[in-house]
Amino acid sequence: MRQRLGIRGDETMTDKKQGNAFTNNPIVRAIGVQKIVVVIVLIAMILFFSAMSPAFRQYSTLLSIMDYTYYLAFLGIGVTFCLITGGVDLSIGTGMFCYALIGGYLINYVHTPVIVGILATVACGLIAGTINGLIVSKGGHAPFLATLCMMMILRGLGALVTGGASITWPGATAPNGWTRTLFKMDMGGTKVPLGFLWVLILAVVMSIFLNRSRPGRYIIAIGSNKEATRLSGVNVAVYQTLAYIISGLFTGLAALAYSSAFQSMTPGGGGGIELNAIGGAIIGGTSMSGGAGTIAGTILGVFIMSVLQTGLPLIGIQANFQQIIIGIVLIVAVYIDVLKNKKLA
Amino acid sequence: MEKIKQNAIVKKIGFNRVVLLCVMVLLYLLFALITPMVKANASFVSYARMVSALKYAYFLGFLSLGVTFVIATGGIDFSIGPVMFCAALISGYLLTAKGWPLALCLLVCILVGTAFGILNGVLVAYAGLPSFITSMASMMLAKGIGSVCTKTQSVSWPQLADANGWYRNLVGIKMGSGEFPTGLVLLILGAVICAIILNKTMAGRYILSIGSNREAVRLSGVNTKRWETLAYIICGTLAGMAAIFYVAKNTTVLPGLGDAFNNEAIAGCVMGGTSMTGGVASIGGTLIGVLIIALLQEGILAMGFQIHYQYIITGLIVLVVVWADLRSRRRRN
Amino acid sequence: MGDVILTMKGIDKSFPGVHALDHVDLEVRKGEVHALMGENGAGKSTLMKVLTGIYSKDEGTITYEGKEVEFSNPRAAQDAGIVIVHQELNMLGHLTVAQNIFIGREIMNGKLIDDKKMNEEAAKLFDQLGIDIDPKETMSRLTVGKQQMCEIAKAISHEAKVIIFDEPSAALTEAEIEELFKIIRDLRDKQMGIVYISHRMDEIKVITDRVTVMRDGGYVGTLITKDSTKDDIINMMVGRVIYEDPKTESAVAKDAPVVLKVEHLNAGRMVRDVSFELRKGEILGFSGLMGAGRTETARALFGADPKESGDIYVNGQKVDIKTPQDAVKCGIGYLSEDRKRYGIVVDKTVAENSTMASLESFMKGMFIDKKKENQIAQQYVETLKTKTPGVDQLVVNLSGGNQQKVVIAKWLVRNCDILIFDEPTRGIDVGAKSEIYQLMNELVAEGKSIIMISSEMTEILRMSDRIVVMCEGRKTGELDIAEATQERIMHAATLRD
Repeated sequence: MRQRLGIRGDETMTDKKQGNAFTNNPIVRAIGVQKIVVVIVLIAMILFFSAMSPAFRQYSTLLSIMDYTYYLAFLGIGVTFCLITGGVDLSIGTGMFCYALIGGYLINYVHTPVIVGILATVACGLIAGTINGLIVSKGGHAPFLATLCMMMILRGLGALVTGGASITWPGATAPNGWTRTLFKMDMGGTKVPLGFLWVLILAVVMSIFLNRSRPGRYIIAIGSNKEATRLSGVNVAVYQTLAYIISGLFTGLAALAYSSAFQSMTPGGGGGIELNAIGGAIIGGTSMSGGAGTIAGTILGVFIMSVLQTGLPLIGIQANFQQIIIGIVLIVAVYIDVLKNKKLA
Repeated sequence: MEKIKQNAIVKKIGFNRVVLLCVMVLLYLLFALITPMVKANASFVSYARMVSALKYAYFLGFLSLGVTFVIATGGIDFSIGPVMFCAALISGYLLTAKGWPLALCLLVCILVGTAFGILNGVLVAYAGLPSFITSMASMMLAKGIGSVCTKTQSVSWPQLADANGWYRNLVGIKMGSGEFPTGLVLLILGAVICAIILNKTMAGRYILSIGSNREAVRLSGVNTKRWETLAYIICGTLAGMAAIFYVAKNTTVLPGLGDAFNNEAIAGCVMGGTSMTGGVASIGGTLIGVLIIALLQEGILAMGFQIHYQYIITGLIVLVVVWADLRSRRRRN
Repeated sequence: MGDVILTMKGIDKSFPGVHALDHVDLEVRKGEVHALMGENGAGKSTLMKVLTGIYSKDEGTITYEGKEVEFSNPRAAQDAGIVIVHQELNMLGHLTVAQNIFIGREIMNGKLIDDKKMNEEAAKLFDQLGIDIDPKETMSRLTVGKQQMCEIAKAISHEAKVIIFDEPSAALTEAEIEELFKIIRDLRDKQMGIVYISHRMDEIKVITDRVTVMRDGGYVGTLITKDSTKDDIINMMVGRVIYEDPKTESAVAKDAPVVLKVEHLNAGRMVRDVSFELRKGEILGFSGLMGAGRTETARALFGADPKESGDIYVNGQKVDIKTPQDAVKCGIGYLSEDRKRYGIVVDKTVAENSTMASLESFMKGMFIDKKKENQIAQQYVETLKTKTPGVDQLVVNLSGGNQQKVVIAKWLVRNCDILIFDEPTRGIDVGAKSEIYQLMNELVAEGKSIIMISSEMTEILRMSDRIVVMCEGRKTGELDIAEATQERIMHAATLRD
């Protein structure tokens, strides 16, 4: 699927310094053209929705955008790592529901302390992520297929654990409701989207991890040229697995964010959410063919997704149309990525 | 073992398919044995159960036959389940709310599937998008369009006794206390046609060859994009046909669903010996694979377990079968 | 030359069906450049892969710095000081130059990678080598030559004691090769042991101290370069005289009609303003060094890659070839240099591969006429002497030479009048080779015309009626076989602007 760069082809004889004054500007290059475009699109979208709908201009809209952003951002950060290795994790949407169901089940029916429920939620993500990683790196399965099977398994598992019943996490005012304040704090009547702080902190941490740590460097290297990375003495399987473990971990965190924002979830749900997260990552400049991607881009891309999700109903477009629009956005984003790679190869 | 492999009949059918048939029979015997032990007063061996399992296999079979063509090219189609639902919703809506004639609605049903096939095919073959992400996006489109058309309402197709109810005979015609399995006849007919297309026509030859080595086929002067698109169109069309068998079995269709069937159809296909890397496909294998999935489903229900087990088992089956295929290919090279 | 640093003795390695290395010896001293020579498929690369632990050996010993060693992977070999500069560039296009050089052993500052320090270290390395490359540049934006320099810098930064260059000059320009040689001499003076794999005789004479020659997976001998002539080395490489004397005059009549005319063909930087004519019944040889743009010309002509401009005339008619389909319709067939990737369809049978390009004529209504298909395929199996148990055999089970014959059969079944043979005998054993030569002669005798791209000089001189020489994407010479000599071809092949 991925052509090894620069081995053959017409540009091999001379420097490939193409582009114009804008794209070669050092500041533009440091930030990335795509991210600048995304920010402009994001601002344009916000202006558009604000102009079209008075409701969009309200503070509560910001809060609801944030509610979407939290879990999508976590899923997006996680799946970015998989995408950078040249793989993908399709189990994150269903997984998020499954882990939240298991955690909520422990709290509601087994009556464990909330903290145990939270830990179990994250632990489930870690376990599923590890299995995904091993199936891909050791079993040699195509990532989309391996994680699709995991998606099936998790869908069944979530339903089996709760016996098919929906689960509601403790409300904000309930004795165990402190989890909700982690993401949305009530300060004298005004709700403060505290969760955004966590998203920012984790985004910065994971960005440093991706760009400045060895595992991060190797994850990029695997996506760029797996064989060359292996020949450099890097244990490719370990770092490939790690990408899926990170994805699993962040899916666990997303499960917490989701249950905090929306409280209840039904078994078997969550399918399709992975496409919002993957779409966000690709819009943010992460390549489907691996090697390239940034956390900041993913966060921006995810914002576009959540603004769409919040804004569309407010200008009178029903939920059904949203699926269609997001499907189209996804196709366009992937198509742009394909074109970008064609130009590069 | 070698002797069995060399047997003329076994060779004709294919060793793997013989094994698969044995698995199916064993599975049936297993369920027959276990069901009474797990659930009191339940029995697996009955004509009704058999018919019920088969009815599940009809629509799933058409989905699976279709996706076999796509997988043969080395691609994948995750939109078939939702497309089936979308087709059933749109045509059912036209039938019940708009009063279109049944025959026309059935045609629309198939054409909706064809339309999605064209969309997927063009995006994959001509625009060069990865098939899994393309088909997942069109899965969202299918779900969305289905819901929009019916305004998020479920659609109930007419019952057999109603006017326009004759389409239900497509899965089975009541005959006294029993039922004549029309669906089985039609499914086998469909499979035979698919097998002929795959093995005897230019389309099938090129579809398989593209899955094996696309570039070599292109350099032989073959319009690979066109044949690859055709695989998706066949797949979509068969998903549209599957919708007819789905409503004939269930009558009621809910919007926003269908993705679970993708996986079952793909599972049936890979179990039957179609390689996920493309180039190798077997329609007969797909047929047996689908029957096994249907049998599993019926067995789980018969034992009184929740259907959720089905998801887990299907997921595991795909993993294991694909892993075995990868291993045998690696050994060969 | 100093002490022996590395000895490989009696190295033996078999793959299923192939005896790749047959008790090969190699000895490298400190401060020498040791050439490893042999034709394609002689086992040079395999030997190096055994040395660096990519393959495990079946037999033999490797002694390095006085101790017997066996490396389990390239990393272990690197750590011990044996590094390889690959023929295929092993670069990570998305990372920067410095990140590439230090991949797998990043300079750390606590838990974080110190990219600043790595950039400085890389800059120092480049200074030392006298190369001008920005360590912060993204790897994929460099030229191939510069990427190669980065690989060398990477090798040196490993504190290597033995460096293996696997055909390093293949994609380099003259100036870059000069730079490369300067670096290699520097390294030699620093008492490193250098193994230099190449098939360019001139380079061997210029840069190396000793030559070890391999042939068909076996060890032939070792010579001191300055005491031996080109002919000595060539004789060892070819061993027996397997080729006839060069063709002395064209077998094509002067007034034979032009079947294919290409004018001012441009496609990327590897095909620049190429024009030539092909006459009926002619074998037109395309010669040149690796990366001269011959395959690219063929692919652009065939419509496999997009072309920017240029006119193509078939039998005097101007044709518009945009895709391989168009080319095939014009009666052009293309036999690719890379059979596995571009030639055969592995999961299909001999018969099915044979009819791949002409399935329309095997249709009986909607269905494929398998009987006719098998019959025609069988006919070509017989004419081409393809060794296969039957036409229903999967091509994957055939040997390289026989796979090649199946690909040839594909174009003969199509009845193409113009055939492009791109390295038709690469990776094929000697016996099958002469069969393919004979076949080509039969084809032109029947009135077909062949463009033959070949990197083997003997093949070019033996088969061609006329020779087009390319260098860096341009046609730099056109010789009639009567006036062609190895020297004149070589001269044109290195003719730069």
